[in-house]
Amino acid sequence: MHTTVIGSYPKVAEEAYGTTVIGAINRWQKKALSDQELERVFQDVTQQVIAEQESLGLDIITDGQIRWEDLVTSVVSQWSNIEINGLTRYFNNNVYYRKPIITGKPQRKAQRLVDQFTVARSVVKRATLKAVLPGPYTVAQLAEDRAFRNDGFFLQEIAQLLRQEAEALQHAGATVIQIDEPALAFGQPKSREVLSALHMVVDNVQAAKVLQIYFGPPQLPIEALLDAEIDGVGLDFVEAPQLVETIQRLKWPKDKGLGVGCMDARNTKVERPAALKQLWRRLASVVAPEQLYVSPNCGLEFLPHDRVVTKLTTLVSAAREFAKECLPCS
Amino acid sequence: MLLTTSVGSLPKPDYLLTARREARQGNITQDALRQLEEKATRYWVEFQDKLGIDIIVDGEQYRGDMAAYFGEHLDGFATSGLVRSYGNRYYRKPIVIGPIKRPAPITVGWWQFAQSLTTRPVKGMLTGPYTIMDWSFNEHYSSRRDVALAVADVLHEEAVDLERAGATYIQVDEPAVSTRPEELELAIEALGRVTQGLKAKTITHICYGDFTTIYPKMLELPVDQIDLELKNRNFELLALFRKHPFTKELGCGVVDVHSHRIESVEEAVEGLERVLEVIPPERVYVDPDCGLKTRSVEEAEQKLRIVVEAAQRVKANLGKRHATGPRSR
Repeated sequence: MHTTVIGSYPKVAEEAYGTTVIGAINRWQKKALSDQELERVFQDVTQQVIAEQESLGLDIITDGQIRWEDLVTSVVSQWSNIEINGLTRYFNNNVYYRKPIITGKPQRKAQRLVDQFTVARSVVKRATLKAVLPGPYTVAQLAEDRAFRNDGFFLQEIAQLLRQEAEALQHAGATVIQIDEPALAFGQPKSREVLSALHMVVDNVQAAKVLQIYFGPPQLPIEALLDAEIDGVGLDFVEAPQLVETIQRLKWPKDKGLGVGCMDARNTKVERPAALKQLWRRLASVVAPEQLYVSPNCGLEFLPHDRVVTKLTTLVSAAREFAKECLPCS
Repeated sequence: MLLTTSVGSLPKPDYLLTARREARQGNITQDALRQLEEKATRYWVEFQDKLGIDIIVDGEQYRGDMAAYFGEHLDGFATSGLVRSYGNRYYRKPIVIGPIKRPAPITVGWWQFAQSLTTRPVKGMLTGPYTIMDWSFNEHYSSRRDVALAVADVLHEEAVDLERAGATYIQVDEPAVSTRPEELELAIEALGRVTQGLKAKTITHICYGDFTTIYPKMLELPVDQIDLELKNRNFELLALFRKHPFTKELGCGVVDVHSHRIESVEEAVEGLERVLEVIPPERVYVDPDCGLKTRSVEEAEQKLRIVVEAAQRVKANLGKRHATGPRSR
């Protein structure tokens, strides 16, 4: 069994790496700090966030997305013909993102994501650094199309751009690429369109590809997701505990990973290790333990930093105990 | 008809912002801070009074975050470390850590102070139970519903105390109500516990969300009036109201609170007249889209002026139409 996180990490930590990001962004907005100086602050915090995740004992980590305002802006702002518009509620959270508006055929014109990955990778000591991209369906849902006026074209166009991002990340050395599709937990996504866009993003990518869905249960059948040519599917068992029964009824493919979002990254209450281990035990009866990737259910930025540390410490120690206690499960 | 009001918060003057910071750092006493909060409240009440606003608010000069303020004054709440809300803005989120109780009235003293400064009615202003629940972490209760209902019970006590003190309008804001459409039933139940048995006119303000997912069901919210941000959505909601009639009184936002731009009176008049095509003027109250606290003092004053002038002009037009229009006898 492996321990991991989903994406974002708190940008500020009053009792650890401080709140320098807030002041730095304020000064940068007032042009009292240069782009390079701001980048140095981001790099410094990123390095501390990576060091912290490693010292907590996580197997697979992210760079914490310290520069990201939300899941989509950092990615789409590298493309042409994009306007970033007003604040809009981010799914069912009391958190807002800036809605991107696509005004013409977009083209990739920067590679900041790759640069960020490269910088992060240079400071990782032991853990695997996972790259994270928003999925095409989620970008299409969160953005507004004023160019194509056709949902199908729009989705494919976005998938083509994300494919360039995924390939560039792989080229930069990413061995795991996580594609976040929280939008699949809402509305009525159509399996065929969603999977064809997903394949467009990843079909040239040799890195391990994981589809991550959170904030609720997938609104399309898990069987359809298992047919996708990807290496793993991550699900949110906090918002949708009933997924355990669904998984138990399936024949889980031996070569597919299951991401188990099992700690609530939107509430400060710390889970009991016994409850975590009980969930994992139930899943380990149908999924090989080496295919289980346990983590919080979504990015950690909704929590204050002190609780993030408590939760991840609990996760890692419960996973270690589980590995000892539960070898016979498989 | 077409009574004017505001949604709740008004900007804090610079001297008060400085004083709040100084008080947090322990450089000035709570008493000194309180005096400045009273000074600012007096300023805003007098400003609204002079401007001719019909239903006055105290401007919430003594509140920070609208949900955290109640958490700070209720038993059972603690405060978290910093979390980001959006952009470069961070806040401390309330955490429910024990049974929620109200040790003493929270807003009644401020309401009495504001009401002592004017002969016009001052609204009692509360944050709703669903919103306080959704905007807090929960480590104590076993479900979101239990938290919302526990908050509702203490807010009901507060509303009853406001009414006893003389409040004839009580507003219970639920901006979070559209966050999870599947929980609208819970929001209705919880708000019902707050407003149950009140004789005061009850209002709720809702903003930022996809109303198509909660309309017309949201008309079941147990209040007399629902206040909505119509301006910043360019009055798109009217299309929904045409399809399914809006059956309550409407608090109608006619100026955008998130834009520095000051609307013209004509623009606000035009918006309001579009509303009157769908809802009769007896059921329409006129105000800004939302609380004005993120604007500067000058911008807020200008926007309130536009609200009042637009309402007056539309009222005058209605009078004229009534005298000369086709329906006059």
